Amino acid sequence: MFVRNVAGTPGPPITIAKKPKYRAAWSRAGRLADQTWSFIAMATEESGDAKAEPALSSSTNRSQKASEKPDYALKFTLVGHTEAVSSVKFSPNGEWLASSSADKVIIIWGAYDGKYEKTLYGHNQEISDIDWSSDSSCLVSASDDKTLKIWDVRSGKCLKTLKGHSNYVFCCNFNPLSNLIISGSFDESVKIWEVKTGKCLKTLSAHSDPVSAVHFNCNGSLIVSGSYDGVCRIWDAASGQCLKALVDEDNPPVSFVKFSPNGKYILIGTLDNTLKLWDYSRGRCLKTYTGHKNEKYCIFANFSVTGGKWIVSGSEDNLVYIWNLQTKEIVQKLQGHTDVVISAACHPTENIIASAALGNDKTIKLWMSNY
Amino acid sequence: MEGDGSDPEPPDAGEDSKSENGENAPIYCICRKPDINCFMIGCDNCNEWFHGDCIRITEKMAKAIREWYCRECREKDPKLEIRYRHKKSRERDSNERDGSEPRDEGGGRKRPAPDPDLQRRAGSGTGVGAMLARGSASPHKSSPQPLVATPSQHHQQQQQQIKRSARMCGECEACRRTEDCGHCDFCRDMKKFGGPNKIRQKCRLRQCQLRARLSPVTPSESLPRPRRPLPTQQQPQPSQKLGRIREDEGSVASSAVKEPPEATATPEPLSDEDLPLDPDLYQDFCAGAFDDHGLPWMSDTEESPFLDPALRKRAVKVKHVKRREKKSEKKKEERYKRHRQKQKHKDKWKHPERADVKDPASLPQCLGPGCVRPAQPGSKYCSDDCGMKLAANRIYEILPQRIQQWQQSPCIAEEHGKKLLERIRREQQSARTRLQEMERRFHELESIIARAKQQAVREDEESNEGDSDDTDLQIFCVSCGHPINPRVALRHMERCYAKYESQTSFGSMYPTRIEGATRLFCDVYNPQSKTYCKRLQVLCPEHSRDPKVPADEVCGCPLVRDVFELTGDFCRLPKRQCNRHYCWEKLRRAEVDLERVRVWYKLDELFEQERNVRTAMTNRAGLLALMLHQTIQHDPLTTDLRSSADR
Repeated sequence: MFVRNVAGTPGPPITIAKKPKYRAAWSRAGRLADQTWSFIAMATEESGDAKAEPALSSSTNRSQKASEKPDYALKFTLVGHTEAVSSVKFSPNGEWLASSSADKVIIIWGAYDGKYEKTLYGHNQEISDIDWSSDSSCLVSASDDKTLKIWDVRSGKCLKTLKGHSNYVFCCNFNPLSNLIISGSFDESVKIWEVKTGKCLKTLSAHSDPVSAVHFNCNGSLIVSGSYDGVCRIWDAASGQCLKALVDEDNPPVSFVKFSPNGKYILIGTLDNTLKLWDYSRGRCLKTYTGHKNEKYCIFANFSVTGGKWIVSGSEDNLVYIWNLQTKEIVQKLQGHTDVVISAACHPTENIIASAALGNDKTIKLWMSNY
Repeated sequence: MEGDGSDPEPPDAGEDSKSENGENAPIYCICRKPDINCFMIGCDNCNEWFHGDCIRITEKMAKAIREWYCRECREKDPKLEIRYRHKKSRERDSNERDGSEPRDEGGGRKRPAPDPDLQRRAGSGTGVGAMLARGSASPHKSSPQPLVATPSQHHQQQQQQIKRSARMCGECEACRRTEDCGHCDFCRDMKKFGGPNKIRQKCRLRQCQLRARLSPVTPSESLPRPRRPLPTQQQPQPSQKLGRIREDEGSVASSAVKEPPEATATPEPLSDEDLPLDPDLYQDFCAGAFDDHGLPWMSDTEESPFLDPALRKRAVKVKHVKRREKKSEKKKEERYKRHRQKQKHKDKWKHPERADVKDPASLPQCLGPGCVRPAQPGSKYCSDDCGMKLAANRIYEILPQRIQQWQQSPCIAEEHGKKLLERIRREQQSARTRLQEMERRFHELESIIARAKQQAVREDEESNEGDSDDTDLQIFCVSCGHPINPRVALRHMERCYAKYESQTSFGSMYPTRIEGATRLFCDVYNPQSKTYCKRLQVLCPEHSRDPKVPADEVCGCPLVRDVFELTGDFCRLPKRQCNRHYCWEKLRRAEVDLERVRVWYKLDELFEQERNVRTAMTNRAGLLALMLHQTIQHDPLTTDLRSSADR
């Protein structure tokens, strides 16, 4: 594989050894290899270009390791929070990592070097969730003080405070256009807010228990919300109508929901140690991922698409679990935290995972993989 | 009434009966004023009316009174006693009857057991007796005799009936105390001790050991008193500000960087108080409060228990009361910002010694290096010096390795910042050159105008009005709406507009302070609105009148062919008559000035950006940031997680 020199830039690649493997990949992986072949062709043209090299290696690796595993290794530990960390998110432009915590502050770190950047103060109570706007300039945070705050990251100031919930605000999400925010709260409602004015546009109340997760799909037309009552609802963002309700047989409390990047599937985490991938248009569960422990906390899970296609999730046994999306088998378990790993985020362009743990640990760990 | 000091009570003399003294309006009360618009209470003996404010009786308290006698009557006739309607007060009354003291307020005041909290808790109950007692503290104090004379009665009362309430067990040492110590921060906040009555809490020594909120330490009699009186040693003084004192910062800063909240279990008052106010405050406060928790290598010999959520919740309530101190906090903010410039010592918020959770019996040892003295109640240190020493030691130990850690790998954000600064510099440069360009144009224009004026000497009587007169066509003025002759239309509209504009003001609070700008804004001060006029000086219709044009002055406007080409010729018509080039100098000057203003705005913006980048750069690896956060690198080879080459 390619070797990194000390400065961190990729060094001269060792290409010779790879050539026979290309052919092997072609015959083995069939259609998938076609794509990799074109990649390779591109790469060989600009063989001197260091940039193509990672694409090259990752693509070859992808093809030959379609059923293989990532090799995430611990690179950085970010210490700074004084209470349990509740959520970590990478910014869409990949530069920053934002982390929210029960110590009422949000800390911004550099995503690539893990260095502290700044702290955002303002909340009166613990912060449960944060989300970036699409241009990476704003953050929204949901807090136990029943408000959400919109922050300008550049200046570190709170731009707006969204008031309206009557109980802890638990989750929040920007829409892709970043003109709307949805928030789910312990008052069993989902509210849609307008960013510019800070006013609540709609309140969707169709849950009978705290709402644990809300998410927009990739084009902002649909909202999915999951709640402790075991029901996942899909709403039309424009009208606020509930389009669908996904219920499983025994409806365990839903702790996490998220649309897949292409918007066709929903990843649902429930408090019975299961993660499920649903095709919501047909209302069928396609894949089930188990092996981790999730019975108490609302643990974030993610699609990792930068390298291999994985599902990444935290767990209550202090490990980060990575499953192969297709085969559903656990491909890696990252060890290092000393408390429940509540949140795991995937970098938008690089193979970096950030994981955060609760009160006994209070650190954020950055893991990097080659594929 | 010297005893009370701060109470601005009107003198006691002439309390009641000398009411009517021949003035128009009957006067009442001890203040001898005819004001009857406030709440008043009447003495059932002498029938004189007293203002509630003057004698410290609120309407609410009065509701519980059945019979009330003024001070003087009670002085004169010991048998007169105030009767209450309150159920429990019947007990009180019965108690007081057997203690035949001249003043029952004395009894009320010295009766801490019944309702001591009522003295202090805002919005709790109607402690009539207590309040009354407080109000009449002065007369009581002024005559020490009864004090001496009635200890037995008090004792008796106390023995019989020390009230038990939600906040008083009635049995502990603190509950048994009858007098306020007068030295603790709560006492010094009391009106009777000369305080501003902002904190409104019971004397520290009288906070019930079992039931009081944030159970304060009450040093028992057996504990040796500190060598110096308590207040001066305890850090959060002046009590007005609830312990979060700025003065403190300067004097104490007992741990410049690491100031763990004293009384470790109660850091929440810190957090809740500071919190909503200001990020700057909060930042430094956090620096203090947070440093301790869970950083194993920095822990003191005692571990700090985590914030008890129950305590935290209670503390929140208190915060609302304290919100009134916004003004004092603003001052703190400012001073705080100043302090922050000094990177050396980051002052932390002192923990207000609202309460200590430690067992009241023993004070822990001071945490200062090598110090064996006991810590002050409500603090971890015996004195400021110890705290400072400990803090300095910590910095010496930890900071170097943190700096090394930081410098181990290049900071990407830092590099971006530098590039940004470069760009901003370049833009500033270009803006400045543009500015110079503008200045040049400005001078050019002036010279043209001057030249035109010179030409006036050679006067010209050519009066070719190029345009044919269309006097039939009527134009309507846009400002006043009247029909006007098109020939004089321009002139009229200019004048008309100026007339309307001069009636409105357009200004800002700040005078223009730009170095090197010759003439930009009008800047005339308007005392009514306290603003400086911000129109262009050459244009301002409000503050500058067009100068009178002498008859022989020539228009002098450079003539153009096809709008853009200068012919080199100048308009020779007398200014008074020229209708095409009315006010041309003014407009041209304004054009140039406007351009200059725009460039200054741009420069301003760039300065702002630069400032932001610089603060980000300083704060990123500042003292606080380094001490509070840490990035541990596990793989020495990987300093940058980007897979592609650095951009």
